[in-house]
Amino acid sequence: MSADDKYPESTGRRRFVKGVVGSAALAGVGTATAVGIDSATGPTGGGGGIVDFYGVENTAGPAPRAMPQIPLEVDSEGYLKGIWPEPETITLENGSEITVAEMELGGTTYSSTWYQYCGVQTNAGVRPDADQDNYFRYIGNSKYDWQNSEMEEGAKIHVDDFSDYETWGNGIGDDGLGKPAQAKWRSEDVSSSEILPVQVIRSTRVEEMAQDNEWLSASTEEGFIANLNKCTHFCCVPTFKGLAGSASAEAENQIYCQCHQSAYDPFSIVQKSFAALPIPEDS
Amino acid sequence: MADDQSQTDESGEAQTDGGTGIVPPDDETPTWSERKERRQGLSRLTYEYFERSRREDQDLRQESSYVERDVLAFPTWPHEMIRNLSLTSFFVGMIVFLSATLPPHLGPPADPSSTPAIILPDWYLYWSFGLLKLGPLNPELAILGGEKLFADRTYGVLANVVVVGFIAIVPFLNKGSARRPVEQPFWASVGVSGVVFAFTISVLSVKNIISDLIDPHLLFDLTFLLPIVAGAVSYAVLKSMQEGYMYDLNRRYYRLRPPK
Repeated sequence: MSADDKYPESTGRRRFVKGVVGSAALAGVGTATAVGIDSATGPTGGGGGIVDFYGVENTAGPAPRAMPQIPLEVDSEGYLKGIWPEPETITLENGSEITVAEMELGGTTYSSTWYQYCGVQTNAGVRPDADQDNYFRYIGNSKYDWQNSEMEEGAKIHVDDFSDYETWGNGIGDDGLGKPAQAKWRSEDVSSSEILPVQVIRSTRVEEMAQDNEWLSASTEEGFIANLNKCTHFCCVPTFKGLAGSASAEAENQIYCQCHQSAYDPFSIVQKSFAALPIPEDS
Repeated sequence: MADDQSQTDESGEAQTDGGTGIVPPDDETPTWSERKERRQGLSRLTYEYFERSRREDQDLRQESSYVERDVLAFPTWPHEMIRNLSLTSFFVGMIVFLSATLPPHLGPPADPSSTPAIILPDWYLYWSFGLLKLGPLNPELAILGGEKLFADRTYGVLANVVVVGFIAIVPFLNKGSARRPVEQPFWASVGVSGVVFAFTISVLSVKNIISDLIDPHLLFDLTFLLPIVAGAVSYAVLKSMQEGYMYDLNRRYYRLRPPK
């Protein structure tokens, strides 16, 4: 080191102090970053967690699990209606109150958390106490010609619309497998991005399956079965027997997702488990 | 005595060229352009022009009172800055011009409750999208009792790693010193099969759309057979072209760089 250098001599003590100060500063920056990221990305809201649900089995493709089934009933006038548990407010141990929609149905616990994935948890219709009437209603731009030509958008689904379900066919897959429709559920007066897409199928095979099955006899009626139509892979909206390309994935008789060729078998209902996302707080 | 005569020339210097007159070039060997210059029309004119300007430059330097320096580059200001600013202004102007004249296309927001029947990534990503559809190649291992080691989706992602990894190590396997495919038929055919595979795997990625044109199973087989066939054909063609082509190439090389 030259004599005219204005900096003091580097000593062992000096280096030690520099090390302590430097590492303390680094640790401080690291801790602050971790806290910042944690608070910025931490989930808000509540009502998620591990959930057991019944759904249409995923048989092929990259999807991780089944799509949740929507239990349904036919009302006295013949309109198709999804079952939604009565919302009730419960008080937690820490004194805060939350509203949950949960009920015992067909030997299992059915709740609104079944549908809390793929961003659906942010939809108004999934809130347990949403002001909705639970009827399935036709959508306008479905993948089925019969629905687009015969049915009006927003009309409630009636049993009589499906009277030809034992023979119906559209040239994709086998005829007589069942008659499908694409519907929306709990989506009145919400923005188009918050519509809950539903696949409705009426099939003789569902009637057979429901005969000696506690869950299916409670969740299906007159051969009708419905599921939330959100692919569990990347959240696309698949179609049962409605897409010409489904034959290339050998899924022409199944619910087929055109995004990544996942296939679901609507005639194989399985119980699966997943971690439901929490419903975000009101903003 | 005939042997001794052939190994030394008249000046008594040793001859090392075997009597052919062909020797490798050294620093003093005149190049072909040096041989030509000053003798023929355009080259003579060019030579005179450069020689004259060099001479004028030299005279000016000697007359000048300017202090000579070793100048390594132009100064940042004003030379480089003026150049960079004019280039920047031009391209910013182009962006402003294009954005002002072309109508912006902004479609409606995506509807999460409905998915179009045909939905694909951008075309330049088809190859990667096709690699996700290699499920039939994922082996069911007997040691795992017929189970697959990876899920098909994991296998497809790993296939991307394999392909990108292979492209990354090719420069280490072959330095690319060849200027023409005929010089290295093997590596040229590797390249051909790679390009063909990029095309066929892209076609495979849209198999659900073109299932009317070609059976998906046939398409899957062709995806891997066509690159091999194309590579073999190009190897055979290049290999058979090689001898004649290289002969011409060498002949032209020695014409351009004649022996001393």
